[in-house]
Formats: sequence, structure tokens, C-alpha cells
Amino acid sequence: MPDDIAEVYRSTYPALVRFLYRKVWDAERAEDLAQEAFARALVHRPENTRGWLFVVAANMARDDARRAAREKRHLTLLKSEPDAVHSSPEEDIDAATRTKRVRVALDELTPRDREALLLWDAGMSYDEIAAQTGLARGAIGTTLARARRRLVEAYDAGLEGGQHVARG
Amino acid sequence: MSHVDEGTLHAYLDGELPSGERAALEAHFAGCATCRANLTEERALRERATAVLGSARPAERPAPPLEQLRREPQRSPWRVRRSFAWAASIALALGLGYYMRNPGASPMASVPPAPAQPVAVAQNRAVATEEDKTPARPQSQRQRRPGERQASRPVDEVVVAQQAPRADSAAPALRLADSVKLDAGAVSGALARAEPDRAPPPAAPASIVVDGAPARRLASAAWPVINRRLARSILGEEPVGLPGLATRAYRRAPGTDGTVVVEQVLDSSTVIQIFQRPAYPYDSSGSGYTNDEGRSRPRVYASEDRARERSSLRFGRFVRGLRVEITGPLSADSLNRLLEQVAPLPPLP
Repeated sequence: MPDDIAEVYRSTYPALVRFLYRKVWDAERAEDLAQEAFARALVHRPENTRGWLFVVAANMARDDARRAAREKRHLTLLKSEPDAVHSSPEEDIDAATRTKRVRVALDELTPRDREALLLWDAGMSYDEIAAQTGLARGAIGTTLARARRRLVEAYDAGLEGGQHVARG
Repeated sequence: MSHVDEGTLHAYLDGELPSGERAALEAHFAGCATCRANLTEERALRERATAVLGSARPAERPAPPLEQLRREPQRSPWRVRRSFAWAASIALALGLGYYMRNPGASPMASVPPAPAQPVAVAQNRAVATEEDKTPARPQSQRQRRPGERQASRPVDEVVVAQQAPRADSAAPALRLADSVKLDAGAVSGALARAEPDRAPPPAAPASIVVDGAPARRLASAAWPVINRRLARSILGEEPVGLPGLATRAYRRAPGTDGTVVVEQVLDSSTVIQIFQRPAYPYDSSGSGYTNDEGRSRPRVYASEDRARERSSLRFGRFVRGLRVEITGPLSADSLNRLLEQVAPLPPLP
């Protein structure tokens, strides 16, 4: 029997938006895609709604990224550059800058490591991550360990780089 | 045993190791300072990575009603479906309208059967119908008929009966708010009936109960306190909670239900309760999550549970093998947001 989509919608929508946001880096676009995924689920009525949604969402995000790359090469998703005049202390870096740094750091990961990390962060279990990524279940721990280490290292490297620029 | 690799450490920290492996690992930690140090390091890394990722998140906005997605203009084959859905919802509305005016006439399929107390159920339906007309005064409605119901779980049935007709018509956000309000009324009504002489004990943490079973929730203040290890062994995995919040107590439900509640302190006056029990999140046929040895308890929901699950609005989600619900004296929005953050508590060192 298919899951109750209304229940999945309530419990999973924010996680799906977050998951998509970290792929398309545009909050509204992420919401649109999440809603589109649920609209499709209403039509298809998949057995495992949640797993299905994340697969569909990942595909949509990939298509979306390709299209965006084709059509709007010039578009910078972070519209406002951080105010360089305020050489703000580390605590005060605004959300856009922080997001950009996370984005750059995530780009340092291999697609598979990144996918596993984002799925874990969306509340998926190892079993589900394995099913979705094609990794062996026994490899998920290692994959996540590597992804986490790489993310933190790249993020910290970005911080240092940023400070260099700000000071230089 | 040679030293534990980082993948296993992360699986352990994520609460994803089978219990046998977990026990062996913990035995190893006890005798191996190197691995203990590595564990501490990996735990810090894991938390850091979560924090880094968590700093890049979109502003959370409420989800639009699911119904709206259904009606959004799409490709052409969709439009046919849309008009059909539209016709179906009108038919449903008419049917419900008829039903509401004849509460006893046709039994609703989604109301859990209570063959032993047909009278009680019928009364509850009548109450539910009145409440739909005057939702602002559920409590006074209830108090006017104090002695009429002896059913042991009247509150459940009222909630179910009252929500069933709305299931497909109203926006989830609205229904969420409504159900919180009405459930709160139901709870105080239940309290007034159950304990006419004294006010609820001030220690009772939840003043809003957002669940289909408020009676059970209220009773949970008296559930036996257990320790963390027992909680874990009841659940078969690490209990979940809000990382970073102090845990006040672990309790277990009486009986063999397998429910554990984690009480966490949000601030000096606010306690959040996180109910959790083993569940099949995705596969109700019974083939999933079979790697947990030593469980004789059937892990598929009883049909009564499932009916309640479907028809009640609650703040629940699945966190790996656990069905998790959250309650606390907070707004629906806040509870929902907190629920999003629920994660396995880091294992004891």
C-alpha cells in the first residue's frame, strides 16, 4: 500500500527543500522543485514515497543545474556581494557569505560523497542512502566519514583564503 | 581486534551499527585508548560537519497546501485529471455534508471500529459535528456532558471522528493549527473529567498535545524512568532527541508497546517530549529492517494503530528505524521545526 502522501508531505517537505537547496542554491527554486516532486508523487503514487521523492528530486536538480548552466551562465546566485568595506569579524559574516563558503566546500566533494552526505542530512538511513546511491551499505560509514572530513577541511581552507583576501 | 576504522566509527556515531557489532565495539573501546581518542576526534568532526552544512539552509517557509499542488496547471494530460479531481472533491464535499447532517446514518470507513461501545462512538460523532460549527468553544461543549461517556479512550475517538471529514478539504497548515487548538481543548476536557479535584500537576510538561492519543501522552508523566542504556535496548538503536539539549529523563511506556519518551529541557520552564518507538518507516509488508536480531515483538503496526496514524494530525516523522513524535508547550510551527532537528543522540562513550 502506498504511503500516505499527506503525511510524507508534512514530515518530509522541509528536508526535501533543504536537500534541493544545496543542489540548486536558490531557495525559491528549491521550493518549486520540491513541490513539483510532490505533485508528481500524487500522480504516480509510488510505494516508497520518501525514497522515490529524493530520487526524483535529485534528477530534477541535475536537469535544472544543466539548464541553468546553459541558459544563464552569467547568473550569480548570490546576488549581493558581501560588503567588503565592513571588514567584519568572523562571527559577523552574513548568511550569504556563509552559504557561499559551504557551497564552495561542498563542490570539493566527489558527487557520490556529496550525495551521501546530503541524503544523511535529509534524515535518510544508511539503508536508504545505499539504495539511492548504489553504494554498499557497509561502505556508507566510510563514505560519510570521508565526506565530512573533506567538507570541514574545504570549509576551513575557504575561511583562511577569505581572510587572506580580506586582509591583503 | 585491530583498531577501529573511521567508517565504522562514523557508522557507530550515526547509530547505524547492528547491536551485536555495537556491543563488540564498545567492549573494544573500553580497553583501547587509541580508539577512544579516535572516537572523540571523529565525533567532533561529525558535529562540525553537521554545523557547517547546517549553516547553509534556506529560510523555512510553510509548505503550501498539498491540494494546491494537485491543482497547479501542468501538462495537458494533467488537466483531465484535474477536472476529475475537482468533480471528485465536490462529490466528496456533498457526501460529507450529507453525512454531517446524519451523524449516525452511515458509518465512516476511517473511524476505528469500536463495536463494544457503539453508543459512545455515536455520541462522539455528534460532539464532533457540533465542534465543527463552533470550533472556538470545544471545552465548554465537553464540560456540558461530563458524565455521559465512560469509554476509556473517548478523547482519541473524538479527535479521529472530528478530523476525518476534513482530511481532503482544508489546507494542512490550517488543519494543523486547528488540530492543536482542538486537541488542547480535548486534553483539558479530559483532565477536567479525570481529575475533578485538583489541577494538573505543574510538573506535567506538555500543555499542548499534538497527537491522536492525548490520553496516553498525559499519562506519560507517570511512566517509569529508565536509564539511557535501557532506552537503547528497548528501541534497538540509540534514542533520538534534539542534539545540544539537556535530557531530563528517559521513560518507558508501560506494557510491551516499545515506546520510549525522551524528555529534554528547552529552557527553565519548557520541556519537550520526544516519543519514539520502533517502526517500519517504508515497508509495511514486513521485509525491511530485518537485521535487528532478538526481536520477538511484531514490528508491523497493529491495524488500529495504523488507522490512527492515517487519520490523526501529528508532528511525527521517521528517523531511521524509529517512529518519532514530538510534543511540548510550543506553537505548531516551533514543534515542527524542532522535529526536523531530531537526530540520534550521540552514543554514550
